Amino acid sequence: MARFNVTLPTRSAARPVLPGFVTDVRPARSDPAGPAGRAAELAGLSGALVPFDPEGQESLVLAAGVLRDSRHLRVIAEFPPGIATPVYLAKFSASLQRFSADRLGWRLAVDLDPAVARAQGDFLSGADRYARAEEFLTVAKGVWQGDFEYRGRFYQVAGGGFAAPLSGRVFPTVYLGGTSPEALELSARHADVHVFSPQDDLETLTERLPGPAYGLRLPVLAREDDDEALAAARRTGFTGLTGCYAAVAAAIGEYADRGVSEFFLEAGPRPEETYRLGEHLLPLLKESTHVG
Amino acid sequence: MSVDIYWRIHMEGDQPSLRRRGGSRGGFADLPGALAPGVRDGAPDGYSHVDYMAEVARAAEDSGFVGGLLPSFPHTDDPWAAAATLARETRSYRFMIAFQPGFLHPVQAARMTATLQRATGGRVVYNVISGGGGPAQLWWGDRIDHDDRYARTSEFLDVLKGVWHGSHTHHGRFYQVENAGLPEELAGQPFPEIFFSGSSPAAIAAAGRHADHYLSWLEPYPALAEKFDLVRAHSDTPPKFAVRVDVLARETEEEAWDELRRGWAARVPRDSGGESGSGDSVGVRRSRSFLASAGGDLRDLEVSPNIWGGFGELRDGPAFGLVGDYHQVAERLDELIGLGVDALILAGVPHLEEAHRVGTHVLPLLKGRS
Repeated sequence: MARFNVTLPTRSAARPVLPGFVTDVRPARSDPAGPAGRAAELAGLSGALVPFDPEGQESLVLAAGVLRDSRHLRVIAEFPPGIATPVYLAKFSASLQRFSADRLGWRLAVDLDPAVARAQGDFLSGADRYARAEEFLTVAKGVWQGDFEYRGRFYQVAGGGFAAPLSGRVFPTVYLGGTSPEALELSARHADVHVFSPQDDLETLTERLPGPAYGLRLPVLAREDDDEALAAARRTGFTGLTGCYAAVAAAIGEYADRGVSEFFLEAGPRPEETYRLGEHLLPLLKESTHVG
Repeated sequence: MSVDIYWRIHMEGDQPSLRRRGGSRGGFADLPGALAPGVRDGAPDGYSHVDYMAEVARAAEDSGFVGGLLPSFPHTDDPWAAAATLARETRSYRFMIAFQPGFLHPVQAARMTATLQRATGGRVVYNVISGGGGPAQLWWGDRIDHDDRYARTSEFLDVLKGVWHGSHTHHGRFYQVENAGLPEELAGQPFPEIFFSGSSPAAIAAAGRHADHYLSWLEPYPALAEKFDLVRAHSDTPPKFAVRVDVLARETEEEAWDELRRGWAARVPRDSGGESGSGDSVGVRRSRSFLASAGGDLRDLEVSPNIWGGFGELRDGPAFGLVGDYHQVAERLDELIGLGVDALILAGVPHLEEAHRVGTHVLPLLKGRS
């Protein structure tokens, strides 16, 4: 039973400038993830990733808005562990689980570019980042479960643990990635899903990481026929899985046969691409991957 | 001059009245009559606490309030999560988010705030609290000492403002950042007004530096006036003043006191209120010592006309509030405004119905500073 997610935009599209004589009542407010999130909900996708984007809007706040605007969609917020204490992020997430019927996921961005990390106030480097991520997830899951004491290298909790009504919710599904030994070790302990990239050596890596489910980030451009897809790819400078719906579905089916159960389809930020997936690609995938 | 009047949003769930303690709204009770979630045809109806919070926010917006305080306690829903969830569901409502600086990195706080400003058109307000200290802080995983809390709060706000206004590098005692700033997508938003709480000398000193509004719980007016003088004495530019006030207002005075009398008769004395917590907060100690000094009758707790100190016995939260008919409550609020108060955060139980009542019957009677 494969799951299909899309990635939501975190930056506002440039607004067309209307001629001065045209009455302009567009609200000043910005909602970059909203339209694509609603499209994913209506198009029947399983979920949506709100990536950590230092140049864009903040992912947890955007994720809360998308959860509020949907009933079924699972929303995965990506963030670096250094942005807040694990107790606080667990508590924030417990509220979102209460508000959304447990549809939140966490994707931890552990391996940040050093300059980006320092601009976020995080000066940790190398393997220490994975050691901290390990403690972060241990503490977050610990307080979630109830009575909790902890004294580690990075975090300390005394008399901790959530009580009713925050307790008893489902902990956010944990997504991790990376191919370094530290990354695989962290995933072995904490990941529900380890997400690979198309260029990764799936066979070798999954053998070394037997525990979690496997996810795959996959840029796709699917159209009615191959020619149309290739023309669109040329126009937009797209590189990735390109072809007619049947061909793209077949390629995805092969990944599913190799053990990938969750896909992060990167099909462009515009809602029409998400509708296209829902109307033309998902029905084929439901046949080939037994999607629920 | 204009006065900003807020209406609190319960983060702790809501009870149907002050007559019987215990929540029924917001998933905090599994009782007959519980709602959000409620039970329909034997199964949960799919609603959650935030659906009821949304009703309170809309009621406050429609009833003449500028927004609401979303307070923060260990075992209740999180204000940032609630504000982010409800950001697009009101039009003018300001979200006053209570938070402790230690839990979020200031760069993250800046990013979350600016994202909310873009979603709401600039309606975020801060209630910066520095926490009670003591064992309660370690529940949060926060190792800070009581006396360091305000030094950290000051540094947190310095970094947050630095990041907000441009590229910022800072190597301080609690925080370090290098070339931090907001991206174009988030830059140029209005910086939130800061409501600053805390009754200790360290808090008052920090308030003098950072607060747009110094926020206090309601206390007897002479004590409040003294506190405001202290803050003024510690500030180069004195902040504005704000008071968080529970109100129980009815058509007649008898009706108001009767409501309290029912709750008083059914009260279950407790060690501490949820809002007061178990830390070493000076404000909490003051409330407790007052209650211990009172006798058994509820009117013993009326320290001056219409100012009653027993609210902490009937629901979680501070001790003092206003009780009386609509005119009396409005007059007492006018007296607060007369003391120099520029913002009020009112509250009543249940928060939904009382928002409508106070907006309809009390706010129109206010005269302001004469």
